[in-house]
Amino acid sequence: MRLPAPSPESDRHATGSRRRRFRDAAMSAGMLAPAVVVYTVMTIVPVIVAVYLSLTDWNGFSSATFIGLENYARLFDDPDTTRAALVTLVVAFFGAVGMLGLGLVYALQLKERRWSNSFFRTLAYYPHVISALILGFLWSAILGTNGAINNTLRDLGIGPVGFLFDENLAVITLVGVIVWAGFGFNVVLFVAGLQTVPRELIEAAQIDGASQRQINRRIVIPMISPVVTVAMVLNLVGLIKVYDIVVSLTDGGPAGSTETIAYLILSRSFAGTDVGFATAQAVGLMVVSAALSVVVTALRNRQDRAASA
Amino acid sequence: MNRWRLLAAAATAVALTATSACGGGGDTGGESGKTTLRMIVNITPNLTEQFWNKLFDIYEAKNPGVTVQLEHTGTIAAEAKLRQDLAAGDPPDIAQHVVPTPETAELFVDLSGEAWAAKTPLFEDYAIGGKHYVVGVGEQIQSLVFYNKKAFAKAGLDAEKIRTIPQFEEAMGKLKKAGYVPLQTAGQWVTGAQFSMLADAGVLTADPEWTVKRKKGQATFAGSGYMRYYELYKSWLDRGFLDKSSLGLQYPDGQAAFLRGDSAMYIMGSYFVPAADEAGKSDDIGVFPVPTDGAYPPGQFGNMAQPYTVVQQSDTREAAIDLVEWLVTDEEAIKIQLAADGNLRKGFAYDVSSLGDGVQAILDEAPSVIVKQGERQPVQGYPEELNTRIQSLFTGASAGDVAAKLDQWWDSQG
Repeated sequence: MRLPAPSPESDRHATGSRRRRFRDAAMSAGMLAPAVVVYTVMTIVPVIVAVYLSLTDWNGFSSATFIGLENYARLFDDPDTTRAALVTLVVAFFGAVGMLGLGLVYALQLKERRWSNSFFRTLAYYPHVISALILGFLWSAILGTNGAINNTLRDLGIGPVGFLFDENLAVITLVGVIVWAGFGFNVVLFVAGLQTVPRELIEAAQIDGASQRQINRRIVIPMISPVVTVAMVLNLVGLIKVYDIVVSLTDGGPAGSTETIAYLILSRSFAGTDVGFATAQAVGLMVVSAALSVVVTALRNRQDRAASA
Repeated sequence: MNRWRLLAAAATAVALTATSACGGGGDTGGESGKTTLRMIVNITPNLTEQFWNKLFDIYEAKNPGVTVQLEHTGTIAAEAKLRQDLAAGDPPDIAQHVVPTPETAELFVDLSGEAWAAKTPLFEDYAIGGKHYVVGVGEQIQSLVFYNKKAFAKAGLDAEKIRTIPQFEEAMGKLKKAGYVPLQTAGQWVTGAQFSMLADAGVLTADPEWTVKRKKGQATFAGSGYMRYYELYKSWLDRGFLDKSSLGLQYPDGQAAFLRGDSAMYIMGSYFVPAADEAGKSDDIGVFPVPTDGAYPPGQFGNMAQPYTVVQQSDTREAAIDLVEWLVTDEEAIKIQLAADGNLRKGFAYDVSSLGDGVQAILDEAPSVIVKQGERQPVQGYPEELNTRIQSLFTGASAGDVAAKLDQWWDSQG
């Protein structure tokens, strides 16, 4: 069978369409280019450079020598890194649990649109607005040996309590301050999520005689689980990199008991001349952080799919 | 404007941004005959931005055409700031508070050939491989015990008679009975630094080459005189001569507690004097050298005050060397700098309190100044590791643990 020969008009039409497609593609590329350039220069190139430096013995000044995976092998042998990794895990886990739990409870109490709720939401979010460095100094002035609380306790003939000088209590203090400083962010997220839960569902459950606790557990929390997942990932990734509040609250002490990986990298390794090793620590942190985000998101997605099935 | 023009404008903007971001800034001013010198400076409570600006105003008035621009370190150390600038291809001309090491020496100009440099304090002590890359304004000494005169009077103590460790321990016992915390310490870097101020005077006066031997693997912490000090420190903690809760104090809080009279003695460097002067407490405080088991007076653990280096990559090296020469040889500049940070230099006097006079007298009588620089510089990160280990004595570690962990850490540093 022979196809009819294309007419000159359809040729012109096809050429015009190709030109339009090309123009659209060029337009899209042009629009994307600034973002791609900025992202490449500011993110991809530094990551590639960091990975390269982690394979060298660079001291930050003179030329670097390629040493393969030696710095990565050192990560597992270095007792300071091991200790800091443990502290980071504790801070990230309990910090995230605290921030999520407290944020959720607070948001459930403040979900209705009332002026008093707005006030308390603002109050909860307020610490998140202040620099973590300032919060750390503030709490150090409150909880330090000669701080406001211990001075009061001393006047009462008690203490001082080792908020910042007992190695176990110092970790708890650090987690507590982090939770206090960060849970307000979750409150905002959760309140936004709670306001998308259809009222009809809740009213139907109330008519069926469900208690508030049952409603929250069976309807509200499952319905905002995507928000919980986002908050969890943001909290975990943020806490794995926690540095500023450590510097100003405990400065890694006592006896290194509150040194996190980020603190170790910035205050010890980079401050010295072990830049190659510091970069390996940073790359390791980046990998763990990315892996954790992927795993948590995948687990939550699986749970959500199972729930909807 | 049509879409293509819009795109072209966007592309030009991106290209311009990238070009300006990649371009390095020049050190020399645009106008002919004008030179801008960029200097990394360490801002401290004593050496404020105002202090530096006033100091360089004097130089600029004497050298028309030269402008000195401060490079602030922000929250990082001066050395890290220099590293950042070098990595960014934007080197400063001069770095203050950066002490070259054998690994970094090549980044700085060798000042060995400068006749004026040889006359500056501790010039030889900071040599690396026979070359001199750093010059300073004066000396800081650190093996000092500041004491509260009222507390000593109450405990019936005469500071002049405290020369040995047993006498020091006896004094701490009496001070405790008199109701004082005998020895003030604090968290952060203070714990380890005070330990060094105390122990180095004993160990390194007896064997100035100890650090060199440790680097060669011919000595260990566990088998050295330091072991005695770890044990002493632990026993002082157990006997209540040091308050365990002091780890919850930041450096200024510890200093404030001593100045307030809560504690009787405070081991610290000569830079404590301006703080005591500022608080109006200088006449209530005395000072004596740290006690040792050996000779009296011991050598003073010390260092170069306000060290300056000229960066090899500087485009205006000669002008930078001229400025550094002025900073460390001009009488007016020296006095201003010494006074600001309570530092010392033989042949230079400035108005000081009775406490400052006391510190100067200790330096005059000291048989040596122990400098841990050049070949005698410990491996990088040692002060931080020592600090962590000494703090671990507060949280239950034994003296043996401290020595073993320090040896293990030192050996792991390659």
